[in-house]
Amino acid sequence: MKVSVEYQALAPIIILLASGVLSVLVEAFIPRTLRRPIQLMLVLASIVLAFAYVVINATAELAGDPLVNGGQVKGLRELAASGSIAIDGPGMVIQGIILLISFVAALLLAERQIDPQGDAFASRSSTLPGSEDERQFTAQGWLQTEIWPLYLFCVGGLLLFPVSNDFLTMFVALEVFSLPLYLIASMARRRRLLSQEAALKYFILGAFSSAFFLFGAALIYAATSSVNFSTVAVAMENSSQDGLIIPGIGMIAVGLLFKVGAVPFHQWVPDVYQGSPTPLTAFMSAATKVAAFGALLRVFYVAFGGMRWDWRPMMWVVAVLSMVIGSLLAVTQTDMKRMLAFSSVAHTGFILLGVISTSAAGLSSTLFYLLAYGFTSVGVFAIVGLVRDASGEATHLSQWAGLGKKSPWIATIFALFLLALAGIPLTSGFTGKFAVFTAAIDGGATPLVIVAVVASAVAAFFYARVIVLMFFTEPPVDGPSVVVPSALTTVAIGTSAAFTVLLGIAPQPVLDLVINAGLFIR
Amino acid sequence: MGQGNVYLPIFFLGLLAFGFAVFSVAAASFTGPKRYNRAKVDAYECGIQPAQAQLGGGRFPVKYYITAMLFIIFDIEIVFLYPWAVSFDALGLFGLIEMIIFILTVLVAYAFVWRRGGLEWD
Amino acid sequence: MNPNNYLILAAILFTIGVYGVLVRRNAIIVFMSVELMLNAANLAFVAAARNTGTLDGLVIAFFVMVVAAAEVVVGLAIIVTIFRTRRSASIDEASLMKY
Repeated sequence: MKVSVEYQALAPIIILLASGVLSVLVEAFIPRTLRRPIQLMLVLASIVLAFAYVVINATAELAGDPLVNGGQVKGLRELAASGSIAIDGPGMVIQGIILLISFVAALLLAERQIDPQGDAFASRSSTLPGSEDERQFTAQGWLQTEIWPLYLFCVGGLLLFPVSNDFLTMFVALEVFSLPLYLIASMARRRRLLSQEAALKYFILGAFSSAFFLFGAALIYAATSSVNFSTVAVAMENSSQDGLIIPGIGMIAVGLLFKVGAVPFHQWVPDVYQGSPTPLTAFMSAATKVAAFGALLRVFYVAFGGMRWDWRPMMWVVAVLSMVIGSLLAVTQTDMKRMLAFSSVAHTGFILLGVISTSAAGLSSTLFYLLAYGFTSVGVFAIVGLVRDASGEATHLSQWAGLGKKSPWIATIFALFLLALAGIPLTSGFTGKFAVFTAAIDGGATPLVIVAVVASAVAAFFYARVIVLMFFTEPPVDGPSVVVPSALTTVAIGTSAAFTVLLGIAPQPVLDLVINAGLFIR
Repeated sequence: MGQGNVYLPIFFLGLLAFGFAVFSVAAASFTGPKRYNRAKVDAYECGIQPAQAQLGGGRFPVKYYITAMLFIIFDIEIVFLYPWAVSFDALGLFGLIEMIIFILTVLVAYAFVWRRGGLEWD
Repeated sequence: MNPNNYLILAAILFTIGVYGVLVRRNAIIVFMSVELMLNAANLAFVAAARNTGTLDGLVIAFFVMVVAAAEVVVGLAIIVTIFRTRRSASIDEASLMKY
């Protein structure tokens, strides 16, 4: 029996997971005071190293695989680990995006200057909220370093998720990145009850949806006698067992649409985004969404590509509902994090337009949108974490009144992110929306694009409302103030803002990159 | 080799296991000291003290949950040894090395639990 | 016995699990229902492996068992934390966040 592992192709995933194991050892054997710097270095170094490997793999001069474009295309394209993992152009682009976002988000997670008590996480999450223990540990300045191994495992799972080429690997990857997220979500320093409640909801609904995914995979397996995407695709062509296949596709879609946060599987999004520690919200809203869309694209392009006439109507409904309900509910919110959560639901609808196109243009435009949206989202939540009063973050909208007069710089950058989310020209959001809408029209989804444009107009209203609130109202007397962060957060916000502007003004290099990424291998 | 011989090792293994069980029990009753006390004649020698049932089932200390959780997670890892054991000869050295890596990973988790005091009862 | 009956049994168990998640209030029971759903999927995998004469389903069942155990541990940790804070495992009471 021949078993092979393609270490070069799998290097990014292996690096992250191996550093996760190392990081557990650090937790076990290194004295408490030394842990934080070591963990931080381990996290950042492994993300950089993994990113370097993605770049090496993506630009590798290969001897010329005759199957791929006559050997013209550069970069690795191979099925690794006996066909369980597919390292290909789109997969590597998504891995690259996830690693960039994870690096920036790691800087946010490490920030400890904006809260006078320490970082964004409970000094010891095992202490009871409001107890004497908690006060003591906080007073002694304990910092929790267990988030770092969890974070590394999470990023490793995220890297594996969009390149998995069978349902088993995908399910395992889904759990590998979800379980750490459930735990980190419960560890906020302030408002711990809210945070624990968010974790409980996230966990129960997450486990519920992954069970759907698994049962769907079982039905597909029963019908096609395989869980490998390529084999499934071939077997579906001439299978007569629609009674198993159609429910199977539906249940797998439930599992994946839950992870991207599309209506009607969005109920967890506002609660989890609001309750989680804000740096984690920034990470989740960007990286998880990117990875989940990568997986969604692969499943529906590779495995279910031949069944597109069956699943498209369902996706149409989900996309319309996400755009309309996300935008409308965002208008009614009074909490900043909840408003941004609903806006993220609406964006899920926009990105689904690219998935529905099932074309090369649809794929490349989705990848571009994910990069653009990911960075804007990280930036927006990074700034939300800066506006604070004595009790912690001030997330009520009324508290943001007149912020433009008190802190013009931060308010301007925040306005930039909001404009990008609204899709105003010269920001990344516009380029992304334009690319996705064009692909959708070419793919014959013009009615959807009309809905999308109307939803964007509604969405522009609530983004504009926040901008007006910040710049054209008087600040309240006892309002919150913007904390001056350390270099970590400054770099994170600066990077996000740079991406948002650059992808709006000069998107061509990145557009070329995502187009050259080509299609998924089968 | 005849068809019947294939099952011979299994038969001997069964015999060996049975013999070991009988030997252990017998050896314990011969060599062990016998000092009876109140605890010995209780239903169980270990576990929770028998007590009047509380209204609504009463409460367990959180420690039980931690022990149970640790048990579940380390217990279930054994499941991966079965497929390996079945195709052990076909996988050869590669399989052995992968399995060692797997066990080392579990060992790391064990080291973490041990160092953090997860195995201490009080 | 027709192996397809096992698929039907798996579907019934899965539905019971879904029902349990949707109507029960105790977090532990909700959680048990989720586990029932996972095990229903396991049964479907094993039955399908028998049906199709492939081994994949059996291997998947192993993986699902391990993932389910990991889920149990994480889930119990979260539920116990909430329980210690609030002295209750009712998921209806965990509702500080409202629309």
